[in-house]
Amino acid sequence: MENNFSAENSLRLISETIERSRRTMAKNSGKPMILWGTLVAVTSVIIYFLWSKTGSPMWNLLWFAMSAIGAVCSYKMGRNHEKVPASEINRILGKVWMWFGIFATGFYAVLWIVACIRYAAHMDGVVGVDMTMIILMMMGLCGAISGSVMNQKAVSASSVTATALAVIYLLLLPDGSPAQILTFLILGVFALIIPGVILQHKTRA
Amino acid sequence: MPENGKMFKPLDPLLHSELRLAVMSILIDAESADFVYLKAETGATSGNLSVQLDKLQQAGYIEVTKGFKGKMPQTVCRITDKGKDAFAAYVEALRSYISTDKG
Repeated sequence: MENNFSAENSLRLISETIERSRRTMAKNSGKPMILWGTLVAVTSVIIYFLWSKTGSPMWNLLWFAMSAIGAVCSYKMGRNHEKVPASEINRILGKVWMWFGIFATGFYAVLWIVACIRYAAHMDGVVGVDMTMIILMMMGLCGAISGSVMNQKAVSASSVTATALAVIYLLLLPDGSPAQILTFLILGVFALIIPGVILQHKTRA
Repeated sequence: MPENGKMFKPLDPLLHSELRLAVMSILIDAESADFVYLKAETGATSGNLSVQLDKLQQAGYIEVTKGFKGKMPQTVCRITDKGKDAFAAYVEALRSYISTDKG
């Protein structure tokens, strides 16, 4: 077994070992996407109904509750899974979505701070930023990057298509309509749940 | 020297071993891997794997950290920069053998 195998055998051993290990490491990598996609889709529907009923956009604060629930579920999911090391790809994907979360939450917090300052200073008008559009674009971009990193064209294509559909839908809505939040339902399903299911299927095969 | 006059690059004897090469192939693609995972992926016995990991560690190709996960002891291995360079050089040397054979 030791030191007597040919160059071809060595290269075959390297490629087979890497391939087998990658398959093991990729197991369950679609589950976080399915979890977050479901949370985003369900939260957007809940916010839509509450916003429509009460006329108050304050229900958007439920996104923070969703983030907390998602973080707890992700932690529990990670503990229950078979213990496998993190691959470089998983590490990169984790960082991409971590920065999406930081930017989205930070951006939302900044808007609230600005709104409070304007209210305290008795400034007229509203902050002229379309937050839904910006978050949609960031989410679509992260989805497309994830697909590229995983070398899954279907994931990138699904994210790009979902973002385009969501943006078209958003632009056709009247300003301030609660229905704008349903764009996240589109992205949740097409940029997270469906790619997650595809990934689960491929890594199980 | 081979018949066509090309020089073979020397193969790193530390990596030219089936189990050590399999371990390095796993670690090159992972942030880190624990002993149990390496054992399952390579199909090696605990004793043999320990010996080979020790050799790789002594060569500075991997770092081995021993600790606990909860109440269970855990040995985590991580490839070093020196290990990455050695692995790349080894693969390059293998390619030179194959291209020489074909040429």
